[in-house]
Order: sequence, then structure tokens, then C-alpha cells
Amino acid sequence: MPRHGILPAGTARLLAFAALVFILGAAFTAVEPRFLSTQNISAVTRHMAANGLAALGLTLVVIVRKFDLSFAGTACFSAMTIGYMIAGGHDLWLCIMVGVLAAAVVGAFNGMAISYFGLPDIVTTIATGSIAGGLAFLYSQGRTIFQNFVTSGILDLNDARLFGYSVSFFFLIALYAVAWVFMHRTRYGASFYATGENPVSAYFSGVPVRTYTMMAFVICAVTSVFAVVLILAESGTADTNKGATLLMPAYAGVFLGAALLGGTSVLATLAGTLLITMLLDGFSLLGVPYYYSDGVVSAILLTGVVLFDARVRQLFSDLASFIQPVTSASEKRS
Amino acid sequence: MTDVISTHAVAERRHSKAINRIIGRYWLVATLLVMIAVFAFLRPQLLDSSNIATILRSSALMAIMILGLTWVIAAGKIDVSFMQIAALGNMTTAWLLASGSGWTLAAICGVAVGAVAGLLNGTLIAILGIPALIVTIASGGICASIAAALGKGTSIRIADAGLLGDLLFTNWGPVPVIAVIAALFYLISWYAQEKLTFGHYIFAMAQNEKAVNEAGIAARSLLLFLFVLSGICSAIAGVLLAASLSSGQPMIGSSYFIDGLTAVLLGGLMLRIGKPNVLGTTTAILLLSVLVSGSAMFGWADYQRQIIKGVLLLVGVAVAMQFGHRSSSPMQGA
Repeated sequence: MPRHGILPAGTARLLAFAALVFILGAAFTAVEPRFLSTQNISAVTRHMAANGLAALGLTLVVIVRKFDLSFAGTACFSAMTIGYMIAGGHDLWLCIMVGVLAAAVVGAFNGMAISYFGLPDIVTTIATGSIAGGLAFLYSQGRTIFQNFVTSGILDLNDARLFGYSVSFFFLIALYAVAWVFMHRTRYGASFYATGENPVSAYFSGVPVRTYTMMAFVICAVTSVFAVVLILAESGTADTNKGATLLMPAYAGVFLGAALLGGTSVLATLAGTLLITMLLDGFSLLGVPYYYSDGVVSAILLTGVVLFDARVRQLFSDLASFIQPVTSASEKRS
Repeated sequence: MTDVISTHAVAERRHSKAINRIIGRYWLVATLLVMIAVFAFLRPQLLDSSNIATILRSSALMAIMILGLTWVIAAGKIDVSFMQIAALGNMTTAWLLASGSGWTLAAICGVAVGAVAGLLNGTLIAILGIPALIVTIASGGICASIAAALGKGTSIRIADAGLLGDLLFTNWGPVPVIAVIAALFYLISWYAQEKLTFGHYIFAMAQNEKAVNEAGIAARSLLLFLFVLSGICSAIAGVLLAASLSSGQPMIGSSYFIDGLTAVLLGGLMLRIGKPNVLGTTTAILLLSVLVSGSAMFGWADYQRQIIKGVLLLVGVAVAMQFGHRSSSPMQGA
């Protein structure tokens, strides 16, 4: 199955996706007219930025056919690192740099363990995620950090506007554009795909397979920090569980997008994230309690993956041809 | 002359190999004994009969929860929804009790809900062939949401712990009855794993699922059964926890998640190296419980324990990969 190109698997799927977004938007607007208000659209774009950034790194990990369950824990650790630095009165960009660096170390550790030492990805990342989540408590023994947040300027990341929309959304679009060019228009991106499709043949084609696998994990950790910085900016405090909410939407975005557009790619993840964020935001606008959100995302993810699974569609077409096999055959003959 | 030397060398090698094997097979038990000795030396109250009963009781609950998980991982799959299924079983029981039904009905429904969740997992993974991690992440999210929704986001108090509560807190000397029951469960499952073809099939699944299928074994049904079993085991533990805590907790012990996986994978380092098995799981659970109890006496915080467990899991996996055959590694890519 070809997985490269501008449109992952044909224009038809893209049109279907656009129709789905339109129907969903229309349905929400019909029930709750505020869905189309500038305020809500601005909120959707802001939430989409956080979810989309976390999902972008995960996309790369999934493309090399691995899983990363640690980025939520890593994000918690980085969030507390950044919070601690901000409380210490350091420059904001230095704080974020240190946070990114801390996550990159965890990501590099994951990548080393999995690609160079051949440890199983799921278990390793669960372990490192747990360790990173534990380390997040070290700075303040689990207490919330809020000192200096107002004066540090981190809140501006949330409040800054460009053409009426949050700057973070444009950052998301820019990063996705870069990622798209990188993944789908350079040989480096092709190497990521090759590593996932067939590591042995990729290796013999001159792709340093292990380096690419490791890079995927490092990038995943780093983008999750970008996401958590936005969450910090929105809430104005650093908690030990600030990154924990990233896991579900990121997985849902990547796999729902892959199911909709027929393959894991940067665009597919963006599409999946848009859909997930619309749904989450729409439901919260309708006043659905917070504890349903994970369930809704999970249910959509499961439905999407099942409905678009190749084997299930085969099953459906088999069923269809079983129900009316004669008519279609006779039509062809006549 | 050369003959003598070579036979001598061979004998020596065989001897050292045998020692290696014994160390490989039983080091976990040795670690457990050393740990008990060290903790007991530093804090003698560890061996108080009331403390032993507490350790055994928590171990028994843990053991029941992850009995099914052990075999799921041994079959080369992963189930990350076991904790949320336990929470769902727990909340279902508590909710039914709160709305006035008896313990028998509530407990049966709690377990049945777990079986349904396991059936959902099993159908999607075994029959449709969707990656186990994605399915169980999503089903876990759904279960957690339903559990939270049942209590409207908070816990449900249970007025009367009923017969199960009496059973849980009945001790024979220092040994709680529930520990004896859990031990019986494990004895039966050990028999099934070691003496019946059932056990051989499980370990064969991890090696080569296709080959197992070609050999005429109903691999799909077996996998389906394993996931249903895992769901039932988790739900039973959830029901027991409802009686033990006299309440239904929607976020029931997220610590069970990392503990469960750590126990199963550490257990895989004993007896059958690199392959999770029920006796290994039992030993690893006791190890973790002693660690928790001992570290509580030293006043270590929860997050410090979380870090220690994460490190244990990481070291365990690394050692398992070193000793075991890479081809039969558990959970590679799920």
C-alpha cells in the first residue's frame, strides 16, 4: 500500500473527512449555536494546538512501528522542571529550553534502550514514564508551583493573538508544515517510513535504522513538552499531573487520522486531532461532565479503527455480496 | 589425554551452566528472601503477624487481578485495561449496592461487566486482529469513564461490606483466608499452565501465532478466552476491593497498573526465563508487597516507590532480554 504522497490515500478519503467535519460542526451548531462563536472557535484552535503537538511526535514513533506510552509522564516531569525554573526566576525561554532538554534526555534513553539494546517498546516506555512521573514530584514534593508565573510571561503564550486566533495555533500549523515537508518531501522522511515498513531492507538500503528509531522517540518527547508548555500557559500553574491528559487525545488523533485517511502520516494526524478536538470541545460546550471525555475519545477511536480496518471492510463487502450476489452478477452479464 | 581434558572441560562447562540455570531460575526467590531479611533486621515490626496478614492480603488481591494478565502477556499480547476494568467492576458493585440490591447480585454483575469488557477486548484483538495496545488503551478509557459516571465523578460509600468483607478480614493465624484462596487459584492455574496442553499453546502463541494456527489449534479462540479471563480476574479483584475498602473508587489504585505489569514481567524472569508464568508472578507480587510495606516503615513517599518500581521494571526487562531468546520476547510491538 503506498503511504507517501500529498494525499495519503486518495482524494475520496479527504472529501469524506471534510464531509464528516462539516456534518459534525453542523450537528453541534444545531444543538448549541455557541459552537460557531468566535470565542469557541478560538478555544478549539487553542486546544487543538496542545493535542496536535503531542500527537505529532507520536506519529513519528508510530511510523517506525513502535509505541510510546511514556510521553505523558515525560511531559509531567518537564512541566514541573519548567515550573521549578520559572519559580526560581529564570528567563522564560531558558526555562522552556531546560524543559525540552530534560524531555529529550528521557526520549533518548527510551530510544537507546529500544533501538540499540532491543528492549520491548511498550514495557520500556511504561517503566520510563513511571520513573519520569515519579521524578516530577522531586521539585516540590508534589505541591503545585505557581510562583512567578504571572511575571514570567508564560501566560502571554496563551493570550497572544494573531488575526484573532491564538499564536499557539499558528505555531502548530507551522510545525506541521515543517513536519510535512520533512516527512513527505525529503529522503529523511522516507527513511522513517522505510524503518517502519521493513527495518532489514531499510538497513541494507543504507538507512541507519537504529538512529531513526531513536530520533523518533526523542522527537516524541520534545513535542510533548511543547504541548505541556501550552497547558502550563493556559492554567498558569505547574502540577505533577499536567501532562497526563495528553496521552488519550494523542493516541486517538494518530490512530483515528490513520484510519480515516488510510495510513499514518502528518496530515492524517492533523485531521484526526481536528476531529477529536472538535468532539471534545463540542461535548464540553454541551455541558457533558469531564469524566465522560476520555470515554468519548476512546469510543470514537475504537469505532474509527474498527470501521476503517481493512479486514472489517472486507467483511462488509463480503456480506453485501452475500446478500445480493445474483443481482450484481446478472447485471454484469446483461 | 586430550580426551580427559575435553571431558573435564565439558563437565565443568555443564556444571557452570547448571549453576547459571539455577541462578537464572531462582534468583527472584533469593532476592525476596534477602529483602525480607534486610527489612526484618532493620525494622522487626515487618514480621508482626498483623503486618504479615496485611502484606498477604494486599498480595492476594493483586494476584487475583493479574492472573489473567500473566497469560495474556505470556501469549505475546498486552492488556493495559486491567486496572480500569477492576475499577469498573468495583464501581458497578458499589453502585448496585447503593441502589439497594444485595451483595450476591452486585458481585455477580461486577464480575459480569468485567467479562463483557474482556470479551470486547478479545473480539477486537483476536478476531479482527487490531493491535492489542490500541484496543486496550481505548477500552480502558471507556471503562474508566463508565466507572466515573456511575459515581458521578466521586466515590460511592458502601454501608455494609457484607459476607465478602468478613471473608477478607478473616485470618487463619497470620494467613488471611483470601490469600489461601488466591494460592489455590494459582495452584490450579499452575497445573493448567505446566501440565495441560493449554499452557503449551499459550507459550507457543508468543513464539509464532501463525504456526500455532497452522498446527490446527484454535489460536483465536484461545486468545479470546485469555482476554475474557483477564477481564474476569480484574473484575473479581475490583469486587473484592469494594468489600475491602467499603467503597467504590472510580480511580482505584492507579498504582496497580505499574505494579501489575512489573510483577508479571519480573515474574517472567523466574523459572521460565523471559516468559511470564504464574509462579513467577506470585513471587514478584510478594516482592513488591514486601517492598511497599518495608518502604512505608522507612517513611518513603509514594513517588519514591513509584521510581523504584519503574527502575525494577526496567532492570527486569533488560535482564529478561539478556537471558531470554530475543525471538520469543514478550510484548515486542504487541
